[in-house]
Amino acid sequence: MSVEQRARIARYCLVGALVVLWELLPRLGVVPELFLPPLSRTLQALVGSADEFASHLGVTLYETLISLVFACGGGIVFGLILGASAAMRGLMLPIMSGLFAVPLVVLYPLFTAWFGIGEESKIVFASVYGFLPTLLGTAAGVQTIDRHLITVARSMGATPFQQIVRVYVPATIPTVLSSLRLGGALAIVGVVVAEMLTSTAGIGFLISKYRTLLDSPHVFAAILLVLFLAITFDLMVQSLERRTLGWRRSLRSNELAPSGAGH
Amino acid sequence: MTIDSAHQGAVEVSDLNHVYGANGQTRKVLDGISLKVESGKFVSIVGPSGCGKSSLLMMLAGLTRPTSGAIRASGKPVDKPDPQRIGVVFQDASLYPWLSARDNVEFPLSLRGVDKAVRRDKAMDALALVGLEAFAENFPHELSGGMKQRVSIARGLVQDPPILLMDEPFAALDEQTRISMGDELLRIWDKTRKTVIFVTHGLSEAIYLSDEVLVMSGRPGRLLDRVEIDLPRPRNLEMMSTPRFAELRELLWQQIKS
Repeated sequence: MSVEQRARIARYCLVGALVVLWELLPRLGVVPELFLPPLSRTLQALVGSADEFASHLGVTLYETLISLVFACGGGIVFGLILGASAAMRGLMLPIMSGLFAVPLVVLYPLFTAWFGIGEESKIVFASVYGFLPTLLGTAAGVQTIDRHLITVARSMGATPFQQIVRVYVPATIPTVLSSLRLGGALAIVGVVVAEMLTSTAGIGFLISKYRTLLDSPHVFAAILLVLFLAITFDLMVQSLERRTLGWRRSLRSNELAPSGAGH
Repeated sequence: MTIDSAHQGAVEVSDLNHVYGANGQTRKVLDGISLKVESGKFVSIVGPSGCGKSSLLMMLAGLTRPTSGAIRASGKPVDKPDPQRIGVVFQDASLYPWLSARDNVEFPLSLRGVDKAVRRDKAMDALALVGLEAFAENFPHELSGGMKQRVSIARGLVQDPPILLMDEPFAALDEQTRISMGDELLRIWDKTRKTVIFVTHGLSEAIYLSDEVLVMSGRPGRLLDRVEIDLPRPRNLEMMSTPRFAELRELLWQQIKS
């Protein structure tokens, strides 16, 4: 049995053990059910209020989807521009990195004042929240691509626009995907957190609502749904990453190879 | 023969100077380079590393603008890359890893918006020329170093430019592959009769392949000599052990050393 296989089995055992503990600890009275309701009661709550959860999950999904488009799409486009243009980088990158260090959630009350407590403020907040890491990751990816690939494109008569679309974009896909993973996860977090703070709908709203009602099974059921959302997104990006795995390795080995001497 | 076709493939460089400036310091890279390469000739440029031979090639390719001086290829000035006139083959790492061999060869055609079917035919012809039509759908990471360079050559030739510039194309290959790639290149050259300008730091390689070898000095790069290689063609490996080959090699070596 290989090391990887053993690690995988150990991982499954660990998750299994956690699930069993989740059921047993509250049942045996080790942990009060208010703090941690047994898994079975959590699932009962999930099934019992399936309609409510479904409609709120729909709201969260919709907000997340739109946020992902803005966060990831915007982050990639502006990241490409910032990475490719030294002037833009000098102007914008310090501001963007500075913003990234600020806990944006403190701005959320402002967003509700500007955009209301409906979907719009969630979408704007989550978009900004996921936008920055995607942008920074993409810009870093563009800067680290092998300049030689651009020289080759120029020698074949590529216009600046073609250089971006035909070389920068595919060459940065690996780094874009990993920043997408981070940015996307943050966009999901952004939506849920915003819903928890001030809202009338969504999974985050349900978490907030059932918490004030001290209904732990429903709180945990909603948390399970958030987990499910985040994991699904992560698996999707991972499968995209796997498809580029073959040439990603060769891109790395190219970077390590000596570049032309005497330029 | 019209005047135009007589110029086809000829390369002319007159009084080329290049000064590289950074951080307020300037460094002369090329000093008064003038040369003429006749159409259909195979010419190598040799010199110590850092002599600016690759910079010179980048200028011939229209990728770098010289500080002063003029370059003409096929009778017209070179001021920007023009892959239909001048094909370039780089040292290594120049294939796009996300494209198959065929898509890599099609790349320059697709930049110009050539029709898909035409593009495919031309790419397959170019791959056939380098003996790789069976590997058209393979990705670069699935090919050996020598095969990758053959795909690069196919890409340089796909638009049938009269001039092919090669920047130390076999430098990253092992000795054995390098020698067989040399023969492969001579076979392709014999078939297409392009003007080839080949930058290398291998003296034997330069002699083995070329009609003429241009010798450059260390920084700032000057043209020291132009050595006619009078070995008969077709060339073969046995020639490398002839006295004439050794003589030519010694001649080049003495100039580079000084």
